Amino acid sequence: MKMKLNSAVFILSVFLAFGFHAVRAQQNSLSRASDFTSVEYFDPPHQQQIKSRLSGAEAQPLPGGLLAIKQLKLESFDENGNLEWIVGAPECVYDTMNATANSSGHLQLASGDGKFRVEGDGFLWQRNAQSLTISNRVQTVIENKAAKTKL
Amino acid sequence: MKKICLIILSGLIGGLLLRAQTGTNATPQTERGPTRIYSDSADFYMAGHKAVYHGNVRVEDPQMRLVCAQLTANLPPSGGRPNRIVAETNVVIDFTDEKGQTNHTTSDKAVYAYEVQNGATNETVTLTGHAELENAQFSLSGEPIYVDLLNKSIHADNQKMVLHESLNGATTNMAPAGAGRGTNNPPAPKLF
Repeated sequence: MKMKLNSAVFILSVFLAFGFHAVRAQQNSLSRASDFTSVEYFDPPHQQQIKSRLSGAEAQPLPGGLLAIKQLKLESFDENGNLEWIVGAPECVYDTMNATANSSGHLQLASGDGKFRVEGDGFLWQRNAQSLTISNRVQTVIENKAAKTKL
Repeated sequence: MKKICLIILSGLIGGLLLRAQTGTNATPQTERGPTRIYSDSADFYMAGHKAVYHGNVRVEDPQMRLVCAQLTANLPPSGGRPNRIVAETNVVIDFTDEKGQTNHTTSDKAVYAYEVQNGATNETVTLTGHAELENAQFSLSGEPIYVDLLNKSIHADNQKMVLHESLNGATTNMAPAGAGRGTNNPPAPKLF
């Protein structure tokens, strides 16, 4: 029971490190959470609106304050509830000590309307520096709005 | 992240680099194909409102193709269109103007700048470092070459221009190398 509690506390602390306030997860082992969702709300007066939502198929604590997340999905919303952007990665490792996330795997990023999309392989997200590095094979697609043409 | 998206999105939609589409008499609007950017790697700085693409950068657009080693886009913190986009190292831009004419430029660096001052809007591209521009009508080298996207004109300091076809069909060297702004050289032609 203590181990289970510790695991829950660990995962909770990780999500708090992400900046999320609420966690909903199912633990199917002593050290693993599955199908978890974590939601962050805006500050007042928009405290009823979801600011971001992080979800994953699995989160497993690793030594050294790391957390392995599978099927990561991170969504960000504006104060009116519109989806601003969404990030997805089959897997990544979150470093709770340094507030970074990285993976050698694939990353997909898209704006809420889907008109802007980036993908690549291998990434490093540094929360404190607010930077994202995609290491390999970066592809950006911008779906252009209506363009003027000659008569 | 939102701002990063806006940086890139606005950067390209709003007129990435040598924007070929500058017509003012165009009215109907149609969808055109997507713009694609390829690079070896990329850094997105949300706090700095900047995106940097590194290594074998390739921008493909229905009206433009750009190749360089590094591409940096900046956006004002308030959002909106980018105020500065810089392509560096072995910059090659091929774009089609509204007349369907193909233009080819090479330079070490290309800087797109957009600013509004005292109600006046300036939107330019400056090519520096072995800057050359060529199309079916002429070849132009200069240091630098200014492209005014709003006035649809170009200007080059220390320019050398070669017309591919003059009125009698002969090739003409319009200005000797080393000629520059403030001289009596013929004005640079309209680009678009």
